[in-house]
Amino acid sequence: MAETAAVAISVPAEAIVNEIEALGITHVINVPDTHQKSVLALLSRRSHPTLITACTEDEAIGINAGLYIGGKRPMLLIQNTGLLASINCIKGIAMDAGIPTFMLVGLFSRDVTKTPSEDPKRVINRIGPTLDTWEIPWYPLERPEQISAIAEAYQRSLDVKGPTVVLVGAPTS
Amino acid sequence: MSMQRKDPTEALAALRADAITITTEQCIKAWREAVPGAMDDPTHIDVVGAMGSASSIALGIALAQPERKVLVMDGDGSLLMQLGSLVTIAGAAPENLYHFVFENGVYATSGGQPLPAEGRLDFEVMARGAGFAHAERFDDASAFKEALPGLLNRRGPVFVTLQIEPEVGVPSGTRSALMGDQMRAVRKQFVDTEA
Repeated sequence: MAETAAVAISVPAEAIVNEIEALGITHVINVPDTHQKSVLALLSRRSHPTLITACTEDEAIGINAGLYIGGKRPMLLIQNTGLLASINCIKGIAMDAGIPTFMLVGLFSRDVTKTPSEDPKRVINRIGPTLDTWEIPWYPLERPEQISAIAEAYQRSLDVKGPTVVLVGAPTS
Repeated sequence: MSMQRKDPTEALAALRADAITITTEQCIKAWREAVPGAMDDPTHIDVVGAMGSASSIALGIALAQPERKVLVMDGDGSLLMQLGSLVTIAGAAPENLYHFVFENGVYATSGGQPLPAEGRLDFEVMARGAGFAHAERFDDASAFKEALPGLLNRRGPVFVTLQIEPEVGVPSGTRSALMGDQMRAVRKQFVDTEA
């Protein structure tokens, strides 16, 4: 039986961490993401950037704001379910108060042989439309060649003083 | 025994020195009454529009500026919105974070509805169980005022629950946009540019 071609291809954790490092990110606030567990494992073995684990994404949005206020360059690493759970804090802190909030979001449970809009799971096919509804800029990271999406999205969060998202399409390697 | 909100608020205002201070919900109005010009104070933030986030924002500032004390004046209903923050704070263990919860047992802003398990829940025990360096409960204004200098000299994170009279408050009158202005004013102390 012929194999179905992958739409999303795994991005190496090292490439993501190198990109984060190049941006001068000081803190990565995470609520553990199955999709990006290799990134978390790599970050946990390094002393920089500092890895902070929060119990919920709501907290992570607040901690990100506090670190930014304190002069640091933080970002979030969470998964799609957590993004949905934290919409009110994204609205209140990142959008209404105008705090740069860059989020690397794993599309946990994504079928990599389908585009997100073709995937029947709502937690996959509703993420893009949800972000569009809230006018939150988002960027796909579907393959290693798109790694620059991280820098683009981070810089845009600083420029617009608000939330931006990179959706990580395949489990990182 | 319990206190009026203004008594511990005034004690905190008197001893805040150069600490970054954060208030939320009903604590906002009381702080403004205790600290003239609080709205424009570049060391102060009123957290609105994201209930429960005050302690998480405080944690971020405390980690970013470990030499600066951070005092957060929280509500009991607010804390319950992000109760896991106790564990997150204890995990990060900022020595400069002081978390004061004004415990009136009700959702004051929305009309005074009782908290779930009011009368049985114990925030001091929760904070200690989460792993705070120190947790303590006060229901007497004089005792709190006397203990406060020592509490602020402790290595954090320190958690204090303050038993205050039930109250049905008025809206604070602040807005998320104002919170953003206050956040940027505090940030200006730590960075040269806005980028």
